[in-house]
Amino acid sequence: MANKNKKTVENFKSESSPPTGIQVVLREFKKDKLAMFSFLGIIALMVAVFVIASWIIDKEAVMKINLIERFTEPGVSGYILGADEAGRDMFGQLIIGAKNSLLIAIAITILANVVGITLGIIMGYYGGFIDNFFMRIIDFFITLPTLMIIIVVVTIVPKYGITELIFIIAAFQWMSTARLVRSKALSEARRDYISASKTMGTSDFAIMFKGLLPNLSSLLIVEVTLNFAGNVGIETGLSFLGFGLPPSTPSLGTLISYAMNPIILSSKWWIWLPASILILVLMLGINYVGQALRRSADAKQRLG
Amino acid sequence: MKKKYWLLLSTVFAIMLVLAACTEKETGSEKPTDKEPEKTEEGAKDEGGTTAEQPTLASEVTNEGDALAGGTLKYALVTSSPFKGVFNWELYQDKYDSEIMKFTTNVLFDTGEDFLVTDKGIAKLDVDVDNNKATVTIQHDVKWSDGTPLTADDLIYPYEIIGHPDYTGIRYDDDFQNIVGVVEYNAGKADTISGIKKIDDKSIEITFKKVSPAIYSIGDGLWGYAAPKHQLKDIPVADLITSDAVRKSPVTLGAFKFDKLVDGESVQFVANEHHWRGKPKLDKVVVQVVPPASIGEGLRTGQYDMASSYPTNQYDGVKDLTNLTVLARPELAYSYVGFKLGKYDTNQKINITDEKAKMNDVKLREAIAYAMDIEQVTEKFYQGLRSRATGLIPPVFASFYDSTLEGYNYDPEKAKAILDEAGYKDVDGDGIREDKEGKKFSINLASMEGSDTDEAIIEYYRQNWKEVGLDVQLSTGRLIEFQSFYEKVEMDDKEIDMFMAAWGTGTNPSPAGLYGKGATFNFSRFVTDELTALLNDIDSKEAMDPAYRGKAFRAWEDYMFAQATTVPMYFRLEIIPVNKRVKHLNIDWMNETKWHEVELVAENPVK
Amino acid sequence: MWKTVIRRILIMIPQLFILSLLIFILAKQMPGDPFTGLITPETDPNRIEELRIKAGFYDPWYVQYYNWITNAAQGDFGQSYTHEKPVASIIGDRAEKTFALALFSVILVYLIAIPLGVIAGRYHDTFVDKTIVLYSFISFAIPAFVLYLIFVFVFGYRLMWFPTSGTVDVSLDPGTWEYYWNKFYHLLLPGISYAILGTTGIIQYLRTEIIDAKTMDYVKTARSKGIPMKKVYSRHIFRNSLLPIAAFLGFTITGLLGGSIFIESVFAYPGMGKLFIDSILSRDYSVITALVMLYGFLALLGSLLSDIILSIVDPRIRID
Repeated sequence: MANKNKKTVENFKSESSPPTGIQVVLREFKKDKLAMFSFLGIIALMVAVFVIASWIIDKEAVMKINLIERFTEPGVSGYILGADEAGRDMFGQLIIGAKNSLLIAIAITILANVVGITLGIIMGYYGGFIDNFFMRIIDFFITLPTLMIIIVVVTIVPKYGITELIFIIAAFQWMSTARLVRSKALSEARRDYISASKTMGTSDFAIMFKGLLPNLSSLLIVEVTLNFAGNVGIETGLSFLGFGLPPSTPSLGTLISYAMNPIILSSKWWIWLPASILILVLMLGINYVGQALRRSADAKQRLG
Repeated sequence: MKKKYWLLLSTVFAIMLVLAACTEKETGSEKPTDKEPEKTEEGAKDEGGTTAEQPTLASEVTNEGDALAGGTLKYALVTSSPFKGVFNWELYQDKYDSEIMKFTTNVLFDTGEDFLVTDKGIAKLDVDVDNNKATVTIQHDVKWSDGTPLTADDLIYPYEIIGHPDYTGIRYDDDFQNIVGVVEYNAGKADTISGIKKIDDKSIEITFKKVSPAIYSIGDGLWGYAAPKHQLKDIPVADLITSDAVRKSPVTLGAFKFDKLVDGESVQFVANEHHWRGKPKLDKVVVQVVPPASIGEGLRTGQYDMASSYPTNQYDGVKDLTNLTVLARPELAYSYVGFKLGKYDTNQKINITDEKAKMNDVKLREAIAYAMDIEQVTEKFYQGLRSRATGLIPPVFASFYDSTLEGYNYDPEKAKAILDEAGYKDVDGDGIREDKEGKKFSINLASMEGSDTDEAIIEYYRQNWKEVGLDVQLSTGRLIEFQSFYEKVEMDDKEIDMFMAAWGTGTNPSPAGLYGKGATFNFSRFVTDELTALLNDIDSKEAMDPAYRGKAFRAWEDYMFAQATTVPMYFRLEIIPVNKRVKHLNIDWMNETKWHEVELVAENPVK
Repeated sequence: MWKTVIRRILIMIPQLFILSLLIFILAKQMPGDPFTGLITPETDPNRIEELRIKAGFYDPWYVQYYNWITNAAQGDFGQSYTHEKPVASIIGDRAEKTFALALFSVILVYLIAIPLGVIAGRYHDTFVDKTIVLYSFISFAIPAFVLYLIFVFVFGYRLMWFPTSGTVDVSLDPGTWEYYWNKFYHLLLPGISYAILGTTGIIQYLRTEIIDAKTMDYVKTARSKGIPMKKVYSRHIFRNSLLPIAAFLGFTITGLLGGSIFIESVFAYPGMGKLFIDSILSRDYSVITALVMLYGFLALLGSLLSDIILSIVDPRIRID
């Protein structure tokens, strides 16, 4: 059981006291106005992006090439954020790009965490061979140079769009969640309430997902939030390196990567800066929310 | 809390301010000129037509000032990855290595009009057409950079390297096997190549299996470079590629010689005092790898005197700079749209045209060609640095290029008329034409991924096609990365109905390797007996006469135009910015300034 | 403990073996091959086919893998097709550059992060603390490559304080003092850029650690004995908080190697990260495989190193 007691800096850092309910989280948010503000801000931003992108903006019209409007500056002839070299509206691209990036990050987060949490709980609950078997797999996956392998896989996949990207990235994101959940579930599974349920004849499934899972919830919220931030980063990073989405499917990463051209970087700021600021604001918000969540998961640091 | 947000905002603004401050200098000078094209665009919009504003770039520049004695030329090799560093003409494969080697070149022949051999170089070529023989004679008293005289042995040695059983490069090819005795030598059955004879210390005679006009473009197996046998003879051919004689300190014939080297990054050359045309006027040349993203800035700030090439999508970055002159010359290349009409049969090694292929309708292909607004693309996206190609021979080949050809000029009405006539009609009224049987019709286009601009251009063409009622989709749904693209195109992937690509023509414009019956690179897989006859004519013995060959080319181009299986898209201009401290430079293919003549007029590049 | 270390190292062998199998198969699946890039009308397709056969590209994958792994086990990772030299030599050359950059960046990260973390923790809830926290948040939130691009543009192109390509000036002679200084000078901009964004974790960890320590019993005891606060900080709190920081080293290095792909692409720094991207584009299988193996190995080594350091500095944590 080499890994049972193996503590990495990560879980050393987020060592937490007994799990607590949603109330603690709410209380924490009430105390921390900035986190509250950030939380509402992120929600508002996401809703706005999805609403504008789905109902107000016509993707066809945005992506329509209009050579006369090449590099039109912001505010000129109805272009809020100007136009790119093909005369495509940057504001529309920003919104569509943000929608794509967020969608991808959300999908990856959900996918990776569902797999990670399920596997983690099963491993922690059953222990023994199952635990050992999956732990070996996780041990292997977790040391992979993920970014490199993703890039290799991306070049192999023949038809490569949003869905493919989501699955490829998610395939390399579930391990740390699984490991974290497993270690918590392992200690939790030894507690009295679990043994009590067992003797009462409750099914394993019910114990795992109705007994264990809620007790890990606050910890998981932190994990999910930070994963989400990380996944926004991975998508933008891949697009930036040229292994992400094609420019015809705008994402925050593809918009930022236009800045690789020094002429655009220096004199066509409206092409890359709005997307960069959007990411900055989004990540800051997530970070503040994440901090508050982490505090609520850790009794020592709680503000109230 | 408020404070924090204020801080955040101010940081963002600070970044913007710094950027703004940094660009201010430039925008000051840029503004007026920046506005100009905008105006012409608007004017064009009002008139409802467009006037192409072609930059008129010279291929030659002379700057005022007295030449320095010596000096160091700073040369930027524009590439996004480090160079490979194989400094040997027989072995190198990467074009950037050859860019570096042009300062030290071992080239034997000078070329003139149409890149045909002249007798002004180190060696003279005499061809005996009737006996399939050629004689190469060293005309001058030429020495290697280490002072050793150049002899006939150095002319023979390259053949022995390429023909050697241990040679792993790309040059042991069909062309090379045209030399008598090479195959036996390669198989290890002979110690020498029987077709190559040393006549005396200054000349050799080569016997070929056949001789074609290509020999004057240094084809047919003739090798255009010398190799320093005295330096290389003791190194086994298999080890040559890793040896210092190739990687670090090759002995050369050119104006400069290798001095210092940082692997993959930069090379310092010093003047070769033994250079046969005379000692170079510069002391040194420093070649530095510069990524395309930073070359514009590097030139603006005077870090480099000139660039090996300049990315056309950043032309804005140099066109108004006062410290340099932008020179241009045509590239030996053309871009085209090809249509898949068949398959390559790997067993018989021939192309087989499929009569029932989806794109096997000349009317459809013509309509596709006429629907493309190539002029707008060249003007707006390429800023006039590309022009609509009218044929499959770039204009650099003066004797073979026919300026009377018109190609497929943008004419959407004509395209619609052709489609109507051919039976592609919009049956269901959705604005998209159905095929002749009235079924849904969609064409798959494969195109290569490149700059962001490429993506926009393809989208623009798709819009063009949609306007005439053709639904063109991208194979795989996106632009395809280089490697996958060629794999798919070569394998005749079912997903590809048409494709956009480009060919470098090299200095020999013979199209046999790209359109011939047995050519793997004939990606259209279009072959007819008539085409084969036309191609054979271009490379026939009669075509040794340039006038005859010119006519043969024209006949072939007319045929290709009528068949519309390959639609020429662009001829390209290559731009080379040169700092004002370079006294004189001509980059014209026919009158290129020789490196030993280059002079500087100031200690440091003009900023 | 050493038993454990040896066992961990032994476990690495099958891990690396599986990784090699995985990456080998994946790399071969990539469309195209190193010779596809040689397509021009002047190259003869038949010759290219010949070279492909010579290189063994048409052998079944397990034959290719067997040949490769048996050679690799003897330290021969094959030939790079695009560079036409042994993989070991090309990677060795690039690794040196990447490691130099990584080392410099790590030192810089610690130099920036430790004082900031300590100050933030000590002057908890003051303006200074809030500023530092904000910096650490922003450095976490900003898309790294945007900042890199801005830095290259401002400090490289416009202010011209730093060189923007290559790793050393060609005119200098290796071995001289100027040569090494010049190499270092080329490291500065990418190193600083990385360090500025790489400090988040350490600052936040250190800060919480010190804030926690203030309420610890030993600190209270020391205070009650009348030891001045200054001394308590320097003698007790810093020492206890700083030691675990050493454990970040392994992770910082692994993070840096992953980050090298970005930083080297933006700064045109010819290290391993750049080599990886170039090799992907040119389908240089042998280099791709060897690089992924090397990065995998370094990641394993990094996490082992972290665990070892952690168990040394903090006996509460045992690795067994």
